[in-house]
Amino acid sequence: MTATAEREAAAAPLPRPAWGRHLVAVAVLAVVLVPLPLVLPAAQQSVAVRVLVFAILAIGWNVMSGFGGMFSFGHAAYFGLGAYVSVWLLVERGISPWIGMLVGMVVAGAFAALIGFLALRYRLKGAYFALATFAFAEMLRLIAINSDLVNRAVGYNVPLRSEPSWAYMQFEPGSANYFWIALALTVVALVVTILFLRSRQGRFTVAVRDDEDAAAALGIPVMRTKLITIALSGAITSVAGTFYVQYYFFVDPDVAFGNSVSIQAILPAVIGGVATIWGPVIGAAVLGPLNDVTATVLRNPPPALDFLQGRAGLDVVLYALLLILIVLLLPQGVYGAIRDRVQRRRAGRRPA
Amino acid sequence: MRKRWTPALAVALPVVLAACGGSAPPGATGSDEGGGTGDTIVIGSLHPLSGAAAADGQQMDNGAQLAVDAINEAGGIESLGGAQLELASADTQGAPEVGQSEAQRLIQEGAVALVGTYQSAVSQNVAATAERNQVPFVIDVSSADEILQQGYTYTFRLQPSAEVLGQRGAEYLAQVSEAAGAPAQTVAVLHEQGPFGTAITESFRAQAEQLGMTVGEVITYDAANVSDFTTQITTVQESGADVLMVAGYYRDGVLVANAVQTVGPELDAVYGVANGAFDTPQFPGEVGAAGEGVFDANYRLDITNPETQELAELYEQTHGDQMRTAAVLSHEAVRVVADALERAGDTDPAALRDAIAETQLESLMAQSGPIAFTETGENENATPILMQVLDGNVRQVYPEEYAETPPVYPAPPGL
Amino acid sequence: MTRPTTAHGAPAEDGGAVTAADPATDTPVAATGGRAWWRGAVGRTALVLLLAVLAVALAYWRSGSGVVVSQAVVTGILIGGVYGLVAMGLTLIFGVLDIVNFAHGAFLAVALYVTVEMTGRFGVHPYLALLVAVPVMFLLGAAVQRGILSFSIGQPLENQLLITLGLALLIDNLLLLVFGPNPRSVALPGDSGVEILGAVATVSRLLAFGVALVLAALLYLLLQRTRLGTAIRAVAANDTGAQLVGIDTRRIYMLTFAIGTACAGAAGVLVSPLVTIEPTTGELFNIIAFVVVVLGGMGNVVGALVGGLLIGLTEQLGALYLPGQSPLLAVFVVFVLVLFLRPQGLFGSKA
Repeated sequence: MTATAEREAAAAPLPRPAWGRHLVAVAVLAVVLVPLPLVLPAAQQSVAVRVLVFAILAIGWNVMSGFGGMFSFGHAAYFGLGAYVSVWLLVERGISPWIGMLVGMVVAGAFAALIGFLALRYRLKGAYFALATFAFAEMLRLIAINSDLVNRAVGYNVPLRSEPSWAYMQFEPGSANYFWIALALTVVALVVTILFLRSRQGRFTVAVRDDEDAAAALGIPVMRTKLITIALSGAITSVAGTFYVQYYFFVDPDVAFGNSVSIQAILPAVIGGVATIWGPVIGAAVLGPLNDVTATVLRNPPPALDFLQGRAGLDVVLYALLLILIVLLLPQGVYGAIRDRVQRRRAGRRPA
Repeated sequence: MRKRWTPALAVALPVVLAACGGSAPPGATGSDEGGGTGDTIVIGSLHPLSGAAAADGQQMDNGAQLAVDAINEAGGIESLGGAQLELASADTQGAPEVGQSEAQRLIQEGAVALVGTYQSAVSQNVAATAERNQVPFVIDVSSADEILQQGYTYTFRLQPSAEVLGQRGAEYLAQVSEAAGAPAQTVAVLHEQGPFGTAITESFRAQAEQLGMTVGEVITYDAANVSDFTTQITTVQESGADVLMVAGYYRDGVLVANAVQTVGPELDAVYGVANGAFDTPQFPGEVGAAGEGVFDANYRLDITNPETQELAELYEQTHGDQMRTAAVLSHEAVRVVADALERAGDTDPAALRDAIAETQLESLMAQSGPIAFTETGENENATPILMQVLDGNVRQVYPEEYAETPPVYPAPPGL
Repeated sequence: MTRPTTAHGAPAEDGGAVTAADPATDTPVAATGGRAWWRGAVGRTALVLLLAVLAVALAYWRSGSGVVVSQAVVTGILIGGVYGLVAMGLTLIFGVLDIVNFAHGAFLAVALYVTVEMTGRFGVHPYLALLVAVPVMFLLGAAVQRGILSFSIGQPLENQLLITLGLALLIDNLLLLVFGPNPRSVALPGDSGVEILGAVATVSRLLAFGVALVLAALLYLLLQRTRLGTAIRAVAANDTGAQLVGIDTRRIYMLTFAIGTACAGAAGVLVSPLVTIEPTTGELFNIIAFVVVVLGGMGNVVGALVGGLLIGLTEQLGALYLPGQSPLLAVFVVFVLVLFLRPQGLFGSKA
């Protein structure tokens, strides 16, 4: 059995009761994580927030590329639109980022659908589809760099407010509110994904991915199904962009539309498990701290490795090695591997 | 079939690593939580130690460390009972979000002040973090004017702003060319399209036009992927300009010099303003004859100052590499913090901020006076000086008080 | 066995992509001749030439200076040769292994440092570094394929992409560790400007261009005239079929990757006098190289060279049309148009 076929089998729509279980799991996760900022030291809290931003980014990517089977290498476009639309409305028009978030979702969703339409209209698939999405993200970056409308390459700073404000999503530094907002957004993204997959539309999406011709023969509108999937994916990802700017206070074309954002959308999903509901979250939880952990190890190495201290670049080397190892050893991702094991054990216990 | 231990390994690896190294981070600096008045005071240093700007980043981190060592050797902070300084170095990787979270971490670990960061985008982020945490942040290198236009009160900058660089650059050009009897009339501009090149060009153009020069052809390029300038230099040649102003980084600066030599336009001078290549020690070696006579108006360590010479020698001994100006700025950033600690006699960030705001400190840079900050946090005496590549070496040539040797003008390419 | 790229159960690529199912009508690696193909290629070449002439005329009209336009054309062609050179190895790997190899630029950087060490330490002529760089890179490529990438065969596209990205990160930072961050350079003895059609070019660029032509010819011959080449083309067209006729596909994957990496090695030596050498220098070429690969048709070595020329010209002339915009924007516009209208590349044939 090849990995591809395995994944196909694994990603097939789960039996009905599973959806309920997933929703319960989301609720449990939310409840468990709420007190986290009260326990974590503040420095770790910023890592926790970063994990959640990665998670949202990857949940969005997973909808299109995991469940929808259309490999996107340009999710920076939607992340960047979410960031830029909201910060533009805030700085130039004084509009709350909450509203900016909604507008950003609409803009990103529409743009995603447009790109998707063009790419699908011309029947691009696989690596070609991926390179087309990549090209559009790059074009947005280059346009932003040279466009006076969005302050060219300088980008935007979020103006600091004298008072913390829920309406403007700005709090004391290190405030737990940031974590809670990110957590709430992640939970909403997860719930939306689950509900979408459970819906008729979501089953269409999976059916079209698994066998486009068969789906078309059954009367499923293939193009429309794909576009809805892509738009939803873009909209979810844009939320990460909006929140990012409010949390980091700054955005420029590279931060918003850079290649590295597209990579960061893929990484957690692949590490955690593509086309699984929990994959992106688990992947983000593994990856988010990884960078800091490798840096920390080398900053204060265990005595045996003292000679490594202060060699610039070594932390990245270690990070890259771990990354390659994880992808090689766990092609299904962490969640996929665990699920396979559980399923195998069950199958072993009661042979069908 | 997959081996069973692999998923467990993937999860366990980071955890194990965290356990190995993780005992250190929170409170790694010992008992002095919150930067108390214990025996060591932590200063956070944020620079790009890896990635495309690693060369400058590592130099800057070394410069900061040399300052800390020198201060500790001289008895630490006397007003705090001889407290020793400790530099906590962090790698921003040139990425704003990494810079931000590292800044957050350093502050949490008790850093009383931050110095950094080189890239403007990273500095913007760190400045916002510092402001929100009310911890002083002394920028060594980062030119974007916007950083200090946000009304931040905890951020200070040592290097001259893009505005000052562009203005002085235009003034020096006018003065040097007039003194040589060949006043610059038409200037063509070649600048990278980012905020840095754009801001320098805007202020240069305004000042140059005020001084009676014409700014003709203005050509932009993308520093990230440009690979040849012959077309642009040919355009400059055809425009009939007598001076070519260049604002950009190292790699593109080298390409410009090479293209100028290849095309051979009739220019009186190739004139960098805050150029990332033209005044570096590597530049003459890399481009050879193509670099001869090239000017750059940039902030600069003052090599005519004996203390600076001493530091440069120490640097070369310690790190086996020629010290760059950026390293001196990081060195000075640490000195500014230490000086303020001494005067405040307190590690409270607010008191420290107020002390930094009143800084009057002799500089190792070529400056028009001691380090002192304006209301907005700019170093009011920061200024560029003019340098020129002569006989394969970068020389300080103007203004006279910093000149090692007089400028050669006109300096047509291929001199 | 399914094709490596049929990720998430997506149906195999149709005629749009190069690795189409029918090897008789669709020949991904270089072209195997056939009259229809030639007619099509000639027609398309004429069209491309016509467009190029129009583009030059438009550039002249926009800039109003003949010298500038001819300089842009000469520079564009010479830069294009470099792009083609870098893309050749990549297109081979892409065509045969179906890997979007983001480590290609990093491999090129390794060759740059090999050249720096050879010239700096032993004082040899930079081009002599070819004798070392090409075999070293061949072995490195073989080792990387056998040791890392071969385990990812059959994994979805995004997994392979992440592995090559990880590799790039790894190589860049190993170079940083070993050689430090300071920029290095390599000088070509006797490198000076030469006049062509009122424009100037340096000897080093002309030589790089010439070698790119030679390399393209060699690769073309290798693919067309040798047993190995035939096997590579067979695997590219249909790996299951190739396996059935007794070709050791594992070996072919390894050799192809090694040859592709050796090409990056050759490219690295040739561009060494043209660039500032830093650990991240290779990244400069990555994106452009992918554009070139798609433009020329996946797996098409000669197409890569032509694609490189087109991108070089687009970049240079585009800068004349749209002053103040990044030349890359014009490149991406052309890229997207080609993707949409001829996804099999300008010189691939339609199934």
